[in-house]
Amino acid sequence: MTKYIVRRVIQAIPVLIGITIVVYGILLSAPGGPTAKFAQNPRMTVEAKERFKKAWGLDQPIPIQYCRWIGVCDPNGEGFDLIGPTGWPSFLPTPISGSTNGLLHGDFGFSITSGEAVADRIVRAALPTFILAFFALVIWISTAVLIGVYSAIKRYSWFDQIATIFSYIGFAMPTFWLGIMLVYIFGVSGLLPVSGMVDIRTSPAFGNDAYWKYFGQHPINALLDVGKHLILPVFTLVVVNIAGDSRFVRASMIDALNQDYVRTAKAKGLPGRSVTFKHALRNALLPVVTNIGLEIPFLFTGAIVTETIFSWPGIGKLTIDATTQFDYPVLMGVLLITSLIVVLANLIADVAYAVVDPRIKY
Amino acid sequence: MSHEIKKVSLPEVTVAEIEQRQGEAGTPADYEVGLQSLSQWQLAWRKFRNHRLALIGLGILSFLILVALVGPFLLPFSFSDVGTRPDQIVSQGRGPSLAHPFGETGGLQRDVLTLVVNGARTSLFIGFSSMAIGVIIGTAVGAIAGFIGGFVDNFLMRIVDVMLSLPILFVILVFSKFFGQGSALIIVIIFGLFSWMGVSRLVRSLFLSIREREFVEAARAVGVRDRRIIFKHILPNALSPIVVAASLIIAGNIISEAFVSFLGFGVTTTPTWGNILSQARTFIPQGNWWWPFFSGTAIIVTVLAVNFVGDGLRDAFDPRSRA
Repeated sequence: MTKYIVRRVIQAIPVLIGITIVVYGILLSAPGGPTAKFAQNPRMTVEAKERFKKAWGLDQPIPIQYCRWIGVCDPNGEGFDLIGPTGWPSFLPTPISGSTNGLLHGDFGFSITSGEAVADRIVRAALPTFILAFFALVIWISTAVLIGVYSAIKRYSWFDQIATIFSYIGFAMPTFWLGIMLVYIFGVSGLLPVSGMVDIRTSPAFGNDAYWKYFGQHPINALLDVGKHLILPVFTLVVVNIAGDSRFVRASMIDALNQDYVRTAKAKGLPGRSVTFKHALRNALLPVVTNIGLEIPFLFTGAIVTETIFSWPGIGKLTIDATTQFDYPVLMGVLLITSLIVVLANLIADVAYAVVDPRIKY
Repeated sequence: MSHEIKKVSLPEVTVAEIEQRQGEAGTPADYEVGLQSLSQWQLAWRKFRNHRLALIGLGILSFLILVALVGPFLLPFSFSDVGTRPDQIVSQGRGPSLAHPFGETGGLQRDVLTLVVNGARTSLFIGFSSMAIGVIIGTAVGAIAGFIGGFVDNFLMRIVDVMLSLPILFVILVFSKFFGQGSALIIVIIFGLFSWMGVSRLVRSLFLSIREREFVEAARAVGVRDRRIIFKHILPNALSPIVVAASLIIAGNIISEAFVSFLGFGVTTTPTWGNILSQARTFIPQGNWWWPFFSGTAIIVTVLAVNFVGDGLRDAFDPRSRA
């Protein structure tokens, strides 16, 4: 088992390296480049631009720039200088190598528009997205399993028929269209808040110090407020997944119910409930575990649109803002972090599958 | 697995059909004379025909394609026409009426029906042509990886892993922003370049299994060249799963196009179902529900139809289900 996990982690490394190369390639293909912001500046002479390029190491060949960007090479040395200031290899953590540059040391660069460190901006935007994704995940999985299992037990009943129709429609529905229609229904009628994370009339903006002070004073009000704002975005985010996965759970459950061991258990005279939930359900959930692991990244892609529609201040909104404003460092940071989440989710799905299914030998 | 049927040994003809054919041709009552072997595709069509939802889906899809092709010429308005009161900018559009069955938009008061019909043109064009690009690239990559194997296979599949790990919609957004400038053609190319990975994995696995089969071995034994083995022996047997996968890509790309256009990074020069929604968004609080409603419905109907056709194709190509 440990051997399998180690091997699986090692396999993920080339993929991660590939991702950094692709993301770096995207940056290189961007129109303009780092000096584009000086195009309208009359005081920026050719020499000043050269000095700027030299100061940021932009005069170096691309492989060296890439090497420094990921943090394996030391920018203060010449060319491919792999040794950090303390004499240890530069890719080791900062306390050992003394290097602070590059992705490996958590340096994602600085935002072009706000000048903040990219890592700070991403961390700040991550909390709202994680809140959204967490609730979406819990509701998505529990609902999908409930609907799927019930449909499988009562196959071809009216419940199953209705669930089938809804899953077909839900699967074909663009998330954002659902979001827009919800904004229309609830926004015009005023039943639920359709924008933001907190009610700005009663509470400070989410995330800053004033907010946490307010949170400390009125924790219940603050939680209820966020909860109310969560309902529509979470609903929008999970509908497509529930539609797809309830079908998947249903198929898997029907498959399990038709197995010989289920018939044997019934023939032995075990109560139907115990057969369904102990024998069939446990086996039916095995493929579901993998499938859900592979779909978790969707929460983050789906979040772009959901966050845009409902003005949720998370990663999705950060991405859209960065793309609109050509803020490459932020964009690259977001791409890298989300890819990392995808790789990790796949890894966890594989390992989880090996854990829950003891028949699998690696 | 559906690729396992290669040649049908027993023709599937009902007794009634045989008798009917005998009646027409006037041949003597020897049943073997009336038998006719059906190709894999004829068999598939026979099964597809019995799949009611798939037929409905095919009907809807054909209708939508027809609308996209001739619809814009039949409508009294052009998508750039503004309403009867262009001097007044009104936030409140007008709901469905006889002259404007889908209503008029707020702002420039354009006819929503005209927008949706013109949108069908661009959205379907993007869905189908980006699918074609994706399937061609995916098949080529998968075929090379599966047929050559070894280092090439490993290298190509690691590229696929990387591409699948990237949040593709983020990347498409970024590329559309960099190179798109609102043109449908560039969006098609970008979508095509990012929708081949699934197909390549599928084709690779098909090639890996088919290339070990006896008929390929036989072809190789008599000295058939690699190129001919790939195109004449392996590919035709891998075709049916590819067709099913292709139908799913169309549905996915229509939704993704709407997604990208909705966020304002997609097509801007002509209406698409996505950018109609995007423009409608700011007018929602004024109660213009008909503006986003109909183009969203168009997307749902199209994707449903494509999915039904895909289901039908899957069943039709599945050798275990005999209709």
